[in-house]
Amino acid sequence: MHLYPLGHVPWLESQLIYHAQPRLGLEGLNILAPREPYVCIGYHQDLAQEVDVAYCRERAIPIFRREVGGGAVYLDGNQIFYQLILHKDNPLAQGDKAAFYQRMLQPVAEAYGDLGVPARYRPINDVITLEGRKISGTGAAEIGDCLVLVGNLIADFDYETMARVLRVPDEKYRDKVFKSMRENLTTLRRELGRVPSWEEMTEALIRRFEEVLGPLEPAELPRAVYEEVERLKPQFLSAEWLYKRGKSRAGREVKIASDVHVVQRVHKAPGGLLRATIELKGERLASVSLSGDFFCYPPNAVSELEAALEGVPLSEVADIVARFYATHKVETPGVSPQDWQKVLGA
Amino acid sequence: MTTIDRFEFPDELYYTKDHVWARAEGHIVTIGLSQFGQELAGQIVYVEVPRVGRKVAKGEPFMSMESGKWVGRIKSPVNGTIVEANEEIEWECTLVNQEPYGRGWLAKIQAADLNDLNDLMRADSPEFAAFIAAERAKYKK
Repeated sequence: MHLYPLGHVPWLESQLIYHAQPRLGLEGLNILAPREPYVCIGYHQDLAQEVDVAYCRERAIPIFRREVGGGAVYLDGNQIFYQLILHKDNPLAQGDKAAFYQRMLQPVAEAYGDLGVPARYRPINDVITLEGRKISGTGAAEIGDCLVLVGNLIADFDYETMARVLRVPDEKYRDKVFKSMRENLTTLRRELGRVPSWEEMTEALIRRFEEVLGPLEPAELPRAVYEEVERLKPQFLSAEWLYKRGKSRAGREVKIASDVHVVQRVHKAPGGLLRATIELKGERLASVSLSGDFFCYPPNAVSELEAALEGVPLSEVADIVARFYATHKVETPGVSPQDWQKVLGA
Repeated sequence: MTTIDRFEFPDELYYTKDHVWARAEGHIVTIGLSQFGQELAGQIVYVEVPRVGRKVAKGEPFMSMESGKWVGRIKSPVNGTIVEANEEIEWECTLVNQEPYGRGWLAKIQAADLNDLNDLMRADSPEFAAFIAAERAKYKK
């Protein structure tokens, strides 16, 4: 299989090359990084709902919609990308999604190990450190008759800009997304105290991929790929493509890692509006912020309820809220414990 | 109903090699993902339903779905025009996993030529049994 070590390339090419190769039926492994930072949204996302477009325009941060799944991400040259294109009938593409992800993410986990950060594959498509922090992003798509797998080694990450480019209901929510990312997503710099050289990172990745893919032969990208990139540009840069109707949802949810989500829900109870901003880890409330427009006695009951709910499994929320109301003699006219259950998604 | 291990394939349907089923009622062809196909897809988190009126070409992708950050494509089994899309699955995509032959149907196509269905497989044919056996080996199902 051909290896295309492309180095740092213009941000648009860093995306369009792997969209062009499967359209031409060309297999290969690309290793590259974008020269400029940009925001990249998932194929099925709704741009206006997910990204603060005005902020990106103001800062001249380009936005791209990829054909691969997943969520909005801020990408820059501190992330080294691998892009694997395989024919669907290639034996390496056999097995179901979980098997495919496991086969292809194992080399990524091992490359991290070679760089001094022991990591492992976690189903269905995460690479995590031994402490359980996500350290690589991954997505896949069927394009033409090929499977495309894209992912990265994260040398360093701009958490602040990532949290800033997302569209959020309020700053409290943004702060929660930022803190959750800091806690649940890590980088080589944070783990090692330094950023390994480009050669160290790409050599580890290539060496480990060769163990799965077989010998990789360095090559230059065929001219046809660049021609296809040019042909694709108008479509992928069009407003119609960028603003394509996507998944819409009530409330707001940002996925930090496969089992960590920051969610905001609003529920209209007879006694007023309730708003909950929660960080969910698996089926547990890692942190909870409650607010809204309703009468509450004693006045500090809401902040005490927040504290009582932290770390609690969703399955126990109903009991805890009911007990809290009884023991603290809470009065919230028109807002029942069941309304809290609804806004918390329990 | 043809049953192969834990997978069920209603006999009245036609099947493509992409695990799409098709049911003809007059010139309207309803399509969906087979039970085997939905299991390969895994837990579906979103289905992008097609626009009514869209022309579709046999063997060409015209809608997509996502599971585990993986975007999969659905190819049309016939040439024709979309006359109805299952809006329910855009909001409740788990139906494709739970009721692949029922409420989880995907779209209805006004077929230009019903003879297109003759190229598809029937559940009770030896060809289909051999195809599913090969697919089970390929996907270790």
